[in-house]
Amino acid sequence: MALRQIWTLYVHEVRSALRERSILVGSILIPLVMYPALLWAGFAGLSFVQGQADRLTSRVAVHGLPDAHRSLVDSLEANGRISVTEWDDDPATGRERVATGGLDLLVQFREASEGATALDDNFRVTIYYNAAQDRSRSARSRVESTIDSYRRNWINVARQDLAIPDPVWADFAMARDDVATIEESTRFLLAMIVPFLTLIMVALAAFYPAIDATAGERERSTWETLMTLAVPRSHVATAKYLYVATFGAMGGLLNLVALTLSLRWILQPLAGADAQELAQAGIPLSTLPVIALGTALLGLFVAAGMLVFAIFARNFKEGQSMITPFYLVVILPAIFVQSPDIEFSTGLALLPVVNVALLLREAIMGSVPVLPALITLVSMAACVAVAVIFAQWVMRNEEVLLGASEGGLWSFLKRRIGNGRAAT
Amino acid sequence: MNKPPVRTQGLTKVFYDDNRGEVRAVDQVDLTCQKGEILGLLGANGAGKTTTLRMLSTVLQPTAGRAWVMGHEVRDEPERVRGSLGFYSASTALYPKITPRETLRFFARMNRYPSDQVDDRVEELVRRFRIQDYADTRVEKLSSGMKQKVSIARTVVHDPPVLIFDEPTVALDVLNAIELRQFISQLRGEGKAILFSTHIMSEAEQLCDRIAIIHHGEILATGTLDELRETTGLHYLEEIFVRYAQVDDPVQAARENLR
Repeated sequence: MALRQIWTLYVHEVRSALRERSILVGSILIPLVMYPALLWAGFAGLSFVQGQADRLTSRVAVHGLPDAHRSLVDSLEANGRISVTEWDDDPATGRERVATGGLDLLVQFREASEGATALDDNFRVTIYYNAAQDRSRSARSRVESTIDSYRRNWINVARQDLAIPDPVWADFAMARDDVATIEESTRFLLAMIVPFLTLIMVALAAFYPAIDATAGERERSTWETLMTLAVPRSHVATAKYLYVATFGAMGGLLNLVALTLSLRWILQPLAGADAQELAQAGIPLSTLPVIALGTALLGLFVAAGMLVFAIFARNFKEGQSMITPFYLVVILPAIFVQSPDIEFSTGLALLPVVNVALLLREAIMGSVPVLPALITLVSMAACVAVAVIFAQWVMRNEEVLLGASEGGLWSFLKRRIGNGRAAT
Repeated sequence: MNKPPVRTQGLTKVFYDDNRGEVRAVDQVDLTCQKGEILGLLGANGAGKTTTLRMLSTVLQPTAGRAWVMGHEVRDEPERVRGSLGFYSASTALYPKITPRETLRFFARMNRYPSDQVDDRVEELVRRFRIQDYADTRVEKLSSGMKQKVSIARTVVHDPPVLIFDEPTVALDVLNAIELRQFISQLRGEGKAILFSTHIMSEAEQLCDRIAIIHHGEILATGTLDELRETTGLHYLEEIFVRYAQVDDPVQAARENLR
């Protein structure tokens, strides 16, 4: 009987919510479409800007170029994206032009310091650039690599003139080789992004339902109608809680699905891999149940917390201002996930939300440590139980029930614990 | 003799107000309402009518005293009390996003109407209140008159033996108010025990079998209109009310009530 009543109440809440545009947008549309689209737009935009910068010709001025090194200008111009001019004026004026954006770079040649004059025509170079300008940074990178290459060749020629044999001269070479597969690289990126987005999505998706289930009822004057139903108040609280938790978890899961489906387009600009390779990479199927469980746990926790805050609200405006601090606190642990050095230890597994964020990260990477995962489960379940019991206790209070309670959670607790001046 | 469907004994409600301290909103109220009777609760704004009815419907808990609805005590068996009554007031609105048919189904189920008969009951009320044309239109799109019909149907959908109408005509136009009063009369004819609160004297005169005058949370007199006339020697209910409430200056009294 109790379960049937809770189910009927729950269906009633969900049915109304699915007909509410703001809830549909916040809890379904944004997680499903908006964030993947925004991510894609963001990354694609970055790539576009990068591409534009790559296409620009760098305006470079050289000052004090020794005659013996005239060919360096040819090397620079051979790049095709560097335009070189000789700077005969005061170098200070040239530096000013770099600072104001009139030039991208000033390359100033000076005589070699005393110890380095053993080689004829040796020189020192200072590159003046503007780190606040994209095109100046890009010019620096182009010019540096060309000068470095020129320097190596010049030293090599000098070495031959000095008749130093190759085996004596050979310097060490450095090479890079990424041993991570494209799957591993993709998972690493996902492990950084997904827990953060899931936290935001769950909190966002639960936000409006939590207000709708409490302040919304009062604003529509349906709260008292609900209170006259022949069911225990705890059933009403449970159904409302399940409704908010469902939307929170659903938002998180929909976002995961959307991200997985659109992975190729979102990550391609980031990972630099081709689309076919990326299509094979993604979240390991074996850890999907853990990820779904983690998201559901987040939904349950966030819903309980939000209801505890929103239950005091008498209208939507109050609801928003009461829930927002909790919303911000909930998405804060995403910082933990951004640092790969932080281990998913048993200690951190006790911290609500942080633990789930880390659990999601580990699951995406493909391995779930059993003990911290179990502690996470127990810790989150305990937090949820406390929050739900607290919400039910609050709902038994007449001031809250009738929307006559002044202030939010803290004022209520102060009154209850302080001097017990509640309605009698 | 059978026990009356509604009975209160020393029903009291005290609120704490930061500015005024303890406020006795309802003080030692004794009432009964019989089957097939409309008991009017007549009082000015803030007299304690709504608080009394909210205690009877278990929305509020009494500070002291007891109340029974169909033999169920409001504190001991709140769900059974709520299942035995229908509560209608300006503050019990309908859910805007669901249709009248969905509304009736939901309230019938939640108020423990036999589940195998819910659909028949809903269709019966849809016909009775002539809401067929908009039974599947969302409530938010209905006119206030249509909403009122759905709201009354919602109140009676589980066929409760006791009905509470808390200032039901306060937001209605004249025609809708007349229609509602006619319906309440019909319900009396069906044997329902009805509590009807109002501050409109003419309404109480027309509709109520007995009238309880409530002022500052206390019941000052209860009786039929004739009994009240006989006791006071006054004819009009308005005069009777003023006499019982011992209001020398009604304008001043109204101002005090608003404070």
